[in-house]
Amino acid sequence: MEDLESILQKHSFLADLRPEHVKLIVGCAKNLRFRPGEFLAREGQKEACMYLIRRGTVAIETHAPNGETICIETLMPGDVLGISWVTPATAHFDCRARDTVIAFSLDHDCLDRKMREDAALGYAITSRLLDNTYQRLSRLRLQQLDVYR
Amino acid sequence: MPMRIGRAGHDIDGVFTWALEPSAPFAFEPGQFNMLYAHGVGEVPISISGDPNDFSSLHHTIRVVGNVTEALAALEAGDEVGVRGPFGSTWPLAEASGQDVLFVAGGLGLAPLRPAILSVLTRRSEFGQVTIIYGARSPTDILFRAELERWRGRFDVTLEAIVDHSGTDWYGPVGVVTRLVAEAEIEPEYCVAMLCGPEIMMRFTARELEQRGLEPSQIWVSLERSMKCGVGLCGHCQLGGTFVCKDGPVYRYDRVASKLLLRGL
Ligand SMILES: Cc1cc2nc3c(=O)[nH]c(=O)nc-3n(C[C@H](O)[C@H](O)[C@H](O)COP(=O)(O)OP(=O)(O)OC[C@H]3O[C@@H](n4cnc5c(N)ncnc54)[C@H](O)[C@@H]3O)c2cc1C
Ligand code: FES
Repeated sequence: MEDLESILQKHSFLADLRPEHVKLIVGCAKNLRFRPGEFLAREGQKEACMYLIRRGTVAIETHAPNGETICIETLMPGDVLGISWVTPATAHFDCRARDTVIAFSLDHDCLDRKMREDAALGYAITSRLLDNTYQRLSRLRLQQLDVYR
Repeated sequence: MPMRIGRAGHDIDGVFTWALEPSAPFAFEPGQFNMLYAHGVGEVPISISGDPNDFSSLHHTIRVVGNVTEALAALEAGDEVGVRGPFGSTWPLAEASGQDVLFVAGGLGLAPLRPAILSVLTRRSEFGQVTIIYGARSPTDILFRAELERWRGRFDVTLEAIVDHSGTDWYGPVGVVTRLVAEAEIEPEYCVAMLCGPEIMMRFTARELEQRGLEPSQIWVSLERSMKCGVGLCGHCQLGGTFVCKDGPVYRYDRVASKLLLRGL
């Protein structure tokens, strides 16, 4: 059976991360499974970890006053959930497993400590987060243009 | 030429499709459009959305946006409409033969691509992998939904649809169409991409495809500009040095990319 370290290394968010850095963060990681309908994060609650999605789909949702659920985006394998911890913040949206979701969780406090102790790891993770945030931002901008109207 | 409306059907909110009955066999190539005339109101360019192998009925899918399209929407089965055409350039099916084909449609952009998709599916063995990516505003705005579901059920087509936002009644992905383009399984060297939808969506999609390794010369887009004569005489549809009615509406992306980046063109 593959160990956590080698599967962690295969996640696209961590692609090309130096092996010694993967070793460092493996202590912050857990391999988790969520049942369909289970929440990975709830609006207004503190986000204690970041998730690297391996399998399944996570819906980022909010709700209107009439109770109607509005799905803003879905995240897929390879995506990162919970990037707002860098600010640090509470979750802005509900994040719900659409189907069975398998994800690595990376504990924020643990990761934060390791990134501060090792500047090169800090840079590697921060630049990946920035790249991910930028991609999400450009998609959001296009979505905001509401081009199909 | 006046043509009788054989069938008129409502597709999605504000959009309808006609099956016109030409008095003589009507031939066209995928990507071409007709000028449709609403008596006493005006004439508008509308792409042909039907099967190019069906010479006995001519399909148009129309969104109601203003005077002429409103007047067209008021017509019913049995009424007549003025048709001039077919005009314009075509999707590059000959170039795509032997290659993988990627169709990316957004919103009503599926209508002008439909003849090309139907042609490829009819001659399926001539092409490599066929992928269709479709983006719509919400699940209720998905055009030709039953047909998309049928295509998706085929073993020789990959089809993914994405909506900008949804409720809990949609199990597909939510987000922008470029998201699926980034994930699509394509072999950049052997792929011809045909894009149709709002111009901004096509620019973003083309950029994503370039990042995936496609050359702009492997990407084709269908453009819209307001038109009058439809035959390259009045200059109404000018885009830089080209006339969309005559040189377009389908263009190879490298031939128009720089023009699309200029504001006001
Ligand atoms: C080659 C070509 C193919 C086309 N194919 C189709 C088609 O298959 N189905 C279809 O429904 N339409 C299609 N169009 C667009 C269609 O021609 C216009 O929507 C139509 O001319 C609008 O006429 P109108 O008198 O109803 O509205 P207008 O009074 O001319 O315009 C009303 C409003 O709609 C906006 N508008 C006008 N034209 C467009 C446009 N092209 N795109 C977005 N907004 C526009 C105007 O800015 C204005 O705000 C095509 C256009 C071209 C050039
Ligand atoms: S519409 Fe007259 S030149 Fe194109």
